[in-house]
Amino acid sequence: MSILGRTLEPGAVSERLRGAVRAPESSLALVALVGFVALAIASDGNLLSGGTLDAFFRFLAVPLVIGLAQMVVLSVGQMNLSVGVLTGYCAMVSAWMMVELGLPAPLAVSAAVALGALVGVVNGLLVVFTRINGFIVTLATMTIIDGLRYGVNGPDTYQGYSPGLREFGRDSVLGLPMVFLLALVVAGMVAFYFARTVSGRRLLATGGSPFSARLSGVSNDRSIVTAHALSGLLAGVAAVIVVASAGSVNASIGDDLLLPSFAAPIIGGVALTGGVVSVLGTCLAAFIVRLVDVMQAQFDINRRWIDLIVGAVVLGAVLIGTIRQRLARRSS
Amino acid sequence: MTTRLTGGPVALAEPEPEPVDAPAATTRRRPSGLPWWAHPRAGLAILLVVLVVLFTALRPAFLNTQLTLVPMQADISVYLVVGLSQLVVLSLGHMNMAVGRMAAMSAFATGLTYDLFGLPLIVDLAVGLAVGAGLGALAGLIIARTGVNSFVVTLALDFALVGLVTILYTAFTDGVAFAQKPEGMSALRFDTFADYCAGDLGGPEIPLVVPFAAIAVLGVGLLFRFGRLGREFLMTGSNAHAAELSGIPTKTRIIQAHALSGLLAGLAGFLLAANNGAFSANIGEGFLLPSFLGPVLGGTLLAGGAVSVLGTVLGATITQVIYKGLNLLQFQLDQLKLYIGLVLLAALSLDRIRHVLAERRGTRV
Repeated sequence: MSILGRTLEPGAVSERLRGAVRAPESSLALVALVGFVALAIASDGNLLSGGTLDAFFRFLAVPLVIGLAQMVVLSVGQMNLSVGVLTGYCAMVSAWMMVELGLPAPLAVSAAVALGALVGVVNGLLVVFTRINGFIVTLATMTIIDGLRYGVNGPDTYQGYSPGLREFGRDSVLGLPMVFLLALVVAGMVAFYFARTVSGRRLLATGGSPFSARLSGVSNDRSIVTAHALSGLLAGVAAVIVVASAGSVNASIGDDLLLPSFAAPIIGGVALTGGVVSVLGTCLAAFIVRLVDVMQAQFDINRRWIDLIVGAVVLGAVLIGTIRQRLARRSS
Repeated sequence: MTTRLTGGPVALAEPEPEPVDAPAATTRRRPSGLPWWAHPRAGLAILLVVLVVLFTALRPAFLNTQLTLVPMQADISVYLVVGLSQLVVLSLGHMNMAVGRMAAMSAFATGLTYDLFGLPLIVDLAVGLAVGAGLGALAGLIIARTGVNSFVVTLALDFALVGLVTILYTAFTDGVAFAQKPEGMSALRFDTFADYCAGDLGGPEIPLVVPFAAIAVLGVGLLFRFGRLGREFLMTGSNAHAAELSGIPTKTRIIQAHALSGLLAGLAGFLLAANNGAFSANIGEGFLLPSFLGPVLGGTLLAGGAVSVLGTVLGATITQVIYKGLNLLQFQLDQLKLYIGLVLLAALSLDRIRHVLAERRGTRV
């Protein structure tokens, strides 16, 4: 019922959604703010110094976009295990085009994004045509892409490509890195897509209840393909950010992205079952995870404690979300 | 209803744990007119035979006992148990994303028990398995109590354990592995039954880790086929609400299934440690993908309510045969991954096509 309302009346929907989602996001924002201030004080203001702040946001860009890439497939109730390796593969291919083929950077960048979208479409079509669970399909394609990624240049590194692109990766505007601003723009576009476009609402309708979506004339198959395509496209964007800001790429890129890609949306309050997204929540969650990361660098904590803490944070966030839902149900 | 529970929508009934001659077995049990090729395990068995013939034709060394068959049996044992560990939670419709790390923690506990107290291997192993089961039970407890998706809980647990394993290894050992290992570990690693029995008994030599896996297969197989507990796992998986209404304590079952999964993950970690010859921090790193490959290739549903232990045996065997075969053909690691992924996709798609064709023939599957 609510799904029908959601699809048919965007106005009422956003109202309701906002009401439902406001609480978790505001508490996330609070955690992010308190954490940031606390870290700034604890590091004697070192965090706020130009270089540190710049690095903070520069390395936030990729987790943010990857989290959104996962969020888009979660919106239809699917998962994409291939986001991480796909990012690495797109990065390797675009670097290969610039270094080996000598193609100009704009072409290589668009190729990376297009490749990501293409792989996403393949993922989506496989899910739709074989009717195999998306988890398994992307597990298989993850293995395949992993092989392809390594096949581009073996264990070797590409570097010294397009100075313009690396310049873009290093540049800052008003103290914020360009790549971070790019990630924010992408996040804004994703938010607009889900809030205001017909296609985005259809994804949510499919995720919320495939049955009622079909009854209201939404093609679930199309939604699934669209979601996977969009996820691949965002992985391509993340690849561009990696290529631009890292300065050199090799086949290990993307290995450590799979778990963070789930952490951000899950902490951000996105339902694994589909139908609910929160771009702001995902961004804030990525920010919080990044805070934990910086804390490690700042206080020279063993890298491994971070994984432990992030795991605990994910679990805690999910538990709080469940408790909140229960309380809300009881009060209503 | 009960047949459907065990066999799932794709199978008529769980075939007897007969090895490779599944096609013959299916032709006999075809009461509803299901064509023999529509049996999921038949296709796998044929695929296995085809692969073995193919690899042997390309590289006769594929049937070499020392070079291929003995190590391959050891590998199959490990990944078979990993697959079973996943299968147990899949029966509930759950997932265990932390199989690898549970294995690592369990192997750590085994190594530590020996390191601190010098107890015999069997006691160390028991402690390790208990730790694995405890971690699984913890995951199950969180899932059952909060109702949070098992994927999220075990993923978060995996995150947490990744950190913990490394911290523990750095705290209790010099580096990444225990220097000492219990007596009997090298026997498990290098010896085969041929060393103890009256010479080579004609067949291929069987490494000592195989019985561990065989016991696990038998145990899990019997549990789901005849055990009341296994039935109740499946009923919880196919419809938790209905199961609850029919008096099954679903929450307890969830905890038990996850504990069993953790225990099996621990066993797999131990077998890998035996094969590698050391309890090291990297045990279980590559467990996640194979843990799904075996059961899913074998026809276990992700949705829960249907498992196939025999299928998992076949699935795990096929995966290792492909690995070994491609290895012998000197494929690089990247190509290996590529082909494993493609084979998985092809096998699943064929399964789907066969299913659709069988349905078109007007037979109820």
